[in-house]
Amino acid sequence: MTVAVSKLTNSADLERLREELGQRAKAVSRSIRVCIGTGCGAKGSRKLYQLFCEAVEQSGADVKVEAKCVGCHGFCERGPIVVVEPGQIFYQRVEEPDVPEIFRETVLGGRVVERLLYENPATGKRATKAEEIPFYNVQERIVLGMNGIVDPTSIEDYIAKDGYKALAKVLTSMTPEEVISEVERAGLRGRGGGGFPTAQKWHICRNAEGEAKYIICNGDEGDPGAFMDRSIMEGNPHFIIEGILIGAYAIGSEQGYIYVRNEYPLAVEHLRTALLQAREIGLLGKNILASNLSFDIRINRGGGAFVCGEETGLIASLEGNVGVPRPKPPFPATEGYHGKPTAINNVETWANIPQIINRGGEWFASIGTEKSKGTKVFSLVGKIRNTGLVEVPMGISLRRIVDEIGGGTHDGKRFKAVQTGGPSGGCIPTEHLDARVDFDELTKLGSMMGSGGMIVMDEDTCMVNVAKYFTNFLQKESCGKCTPCREGLSQMLYILDRITDGEGQVGDVERLEGLAELVKATALCGLGRTAANPVLSTIRYFRQEYDAHILERHCPAKECRGLFRYEIDPEACKGCGICLKDCPTDAITGGKKVPHVINQEKCTLCGTCWEKCPFTAVLKV
Amino acid sequence: MRKGKPVPTVTIDGYKVEVEKGATILDAAKKAGVWIPTLCYHSAVPSDASCRLCMVELDRGDWRELVTACNYPVRGDIVVYVSSERAKQARSGVMELLLARSPDSQELKALAERMGVKKTRYPKVTESQRNCILCGLCVSVCEQLIGQSAIGFAGRGVDRAVAAPFRQPSEDCIGCGACAAICPVGTIKVRIHQDQQEVEISPFKSRAKLLTCQQCGAPVVSEQVSKLALGKVGIISEEFHERLQLCPKCRKSKTTEQIRTVTGVKDKVDVA
Repeated sequence: MTVAVSKLTNSADLERLREELGQRAKAVSRSIRVCIGTGCGAKGSRKLYQLFCEAVEQSGADVKVEAKCVGCHGFCERGPIVVVEPGQIFYQRVEEPDVPEIFRETVLGGRVVERLLYENPATGKRATKAEEIPFYNVQERIVLGMNGIVDPTSIEDYIAKDGYKALAKVLTSMTPEEVISEVERAGLRGRGGGGFPTAQKWHICRNAEGEAKYIICNGDEGDPGAFMDRSIMEGNPHFIIEGILIGAYAIGSEQGYIYVRNEYPLAVEHLRTALLQAREIGLLGKNILASNLSFDIRINRGGGAFVCGEETGLIASLEGNVGVPRPKPPFPATEGYHGKPTAINNVETWANIPQIINRGGEWFASIGTEKSKGTKVFSLVGKIRNTGLVEVPMGISLRRIVDEIGGGTHDGKRFKAVQTGGPSGGCIPTEHLDARVDFDELTKLGSMMGSGGMIVMDEDTCMVNVAKYFTNFLQKESCGKCTPCREGLSQMLYILDRITDGEGQVGDVERLEGLAELVKATALCGLGRTAANPVLSTIRYFRQEYDAHILERHCPAKECRGLFRYEIDPEACKGCGICLKDCPTDAITGGKKVPHVINQEKCTLCGTCWEKCPFTAVLKV
Repeated sequence: MRKGKPVPTVTIDGYKVEVEKGATILDAAKKAGVWIPTLCYHSAVPSDASCRLCMVELDRGDWRELVTACNYPVRGDIVVYVSSERAKQARSGVMELLLARSPDSQELKALAERMGVKKTRYPKVTESQRNCILCGLCVSVCEQLIGQSAIGFAGRGVDRAVAAPFRQPSEDCIGCGACAAICPVGTIKVRIHQDQQEVEISPFKSRAKLLTCQQCGAPVVSEQVSKLALGKVGIISEEFHERLQLCPKCRKSKTTEQIRTVTGVKDKVDVA
């Protein structure tokens, strides 16, 4: 949908354009939306989009058909996803050969291709629309609401879907103080991990002394397995820009920065396109929509250091210095970028703003718990059936996220824990699965909300190994400035290495706890102070696994090499000889159709037999 | 905590002192005569709070928070505990980590002893360049006081180290030795190479040409240091320049000579 757009000089222009775009949209009766988000894109959805475009061109049908790319729908497990209008027919796991069939049957013929619909594994029922799928119907999508509907590369498409309406409202009918009050009524708290009240931050920043004030959008999402911010930046960049513009008006800023990881090329590209479009149309620049707001945004690409996600580290990096955190106070709201008052918020926080303005703070505050309002986006990954991006109202129980949205763990595997809050979050075990998703409740359980990573673990996951993995990540990503983080994490890693190698000593758990408490209490920045969470939470809930490693030299989850054995189940073994042939150390003996045996003295525990056995007769014991 | 009072009262372990608004807890402690160990703090440069040795407990009403004394600004009346169990444990914990990293520094051992930390429970797991604890004082002094930025931090995390660019001898180094003077653990040393008339800042391997005394030939300071100092004082008298060519000893005897000539006194004159 491209319309020759002239510069918008006031909000009436914007409304006129919206109306015009709406008229044009009505003329297009059929549309095909192909997801080009991270997951679907990796499965080749770009090619699908091309094929649909070609089909549209060649068909020559009387009806107007439009194919468009959209951002992540969230159900990445089932990608690539294609949605056909009218009817919001939701096709999943679409492959190239399916394109002509979808086009012929659904787009032109109006019939549903049954085999491409989602089938509920519990009931066997097929779902035509997204909302009929359990993965979606438990969710409440505010931030992700337009992901999968708007074309992220088209400002017209965004405007047609009520885009920049909140900005126009703010500029024409609200004072900056009223904007801040509205956000305060909403009770919005920072979505980057800290959970600091956004309105309070803006208020401090607005009242801080100084002519120049800055706005920063933190898109340096560095948590392993997290892609919330990425999907918003890729799938709906104008949402973030509109939020930032409203923030700029509220605090009185003229310059904003979006700090994005360079590893997110599509996010950078979409943001850049969006900024160009907004500038062209007059939504960035001098006197936006005839108001006294003059504002522009620049993109800064991060070099990939995890510590640059910490606000003072990010600001240092933005200033051109080494990305190292500095002590707080002073906080960025009073002394931030180049020492000037700076409102720095996470991508998801900014993306919440337009809706709060459009629908009111009270509406937002009606969702969630007493102290945590609105929704939160999580990237649900790990040993779970439905991996993907989910947005849930605050206060929902972890169990509903894991079981209803995530569809539970894989067949026959027992759920063990869910890790929330990114690398410096904690692991929450089965007995606390009914805990509500809420900033304070998660902190009480020894974990945290963080930016929204959620990793599910089942019985095959060794919790000591999990603690080691995250401690290793944090030690590698520590900036090295302060002693406790640099030295303390290295000492913790040394002990964890020893435990998983089967050389743990009695007292190691206490030593770990002592170090963890020291790091937590004395580190300089938020990263360091939370870096002990993986160790502390696994000790708190899975102490018995540590003890098994140390006292019995045994890994209960059978993950730590050397702390379990491989054995062949004589009843299951068919004597096929595959393991015998593949064993690199000739540790397996046995004849044809005679159960094989592993010579434990020769076995190096490489696991080849376990991987190769077609009858799963090789067991870990 | 009362805000707005021009001279807030800080209560440290029960002692009450008044300090200027914006002073640090460490300033207040000094005034109260309470000793807080520090490593990365030096009054000549802004505090970086990186070593975390000066942890003290700050009373927040219903809870207490550990903060670094060297940079925590006093804005209103506060109550601080330096010798509470938690604060002591935090400080000795940090000291033990530092001792594990840099076991051979005599300066560090002496400080540990003064703190009552006899030995560390931890093994050495990170590599340090000649006991460097990465406090950053040398980097700050070189950048902010000398204005040369000849050294800086390289690497990240456990690989972090103080180095000249590309770990090569730096041409920006003027051989002033300020980094060596400020180093709290004796990592940085000034070496004089008599035969080459050069000064070397070790371990950075940067060298600078030394001026030698025109009378006795003893090394004085590096050429660049002399130039920098001259630029700073801005004296143009010829006599001053002549004197700069001499070592302190020869300068002294020259002064004695001159006084003798002027006063005619033949006996020994105390010019100091």
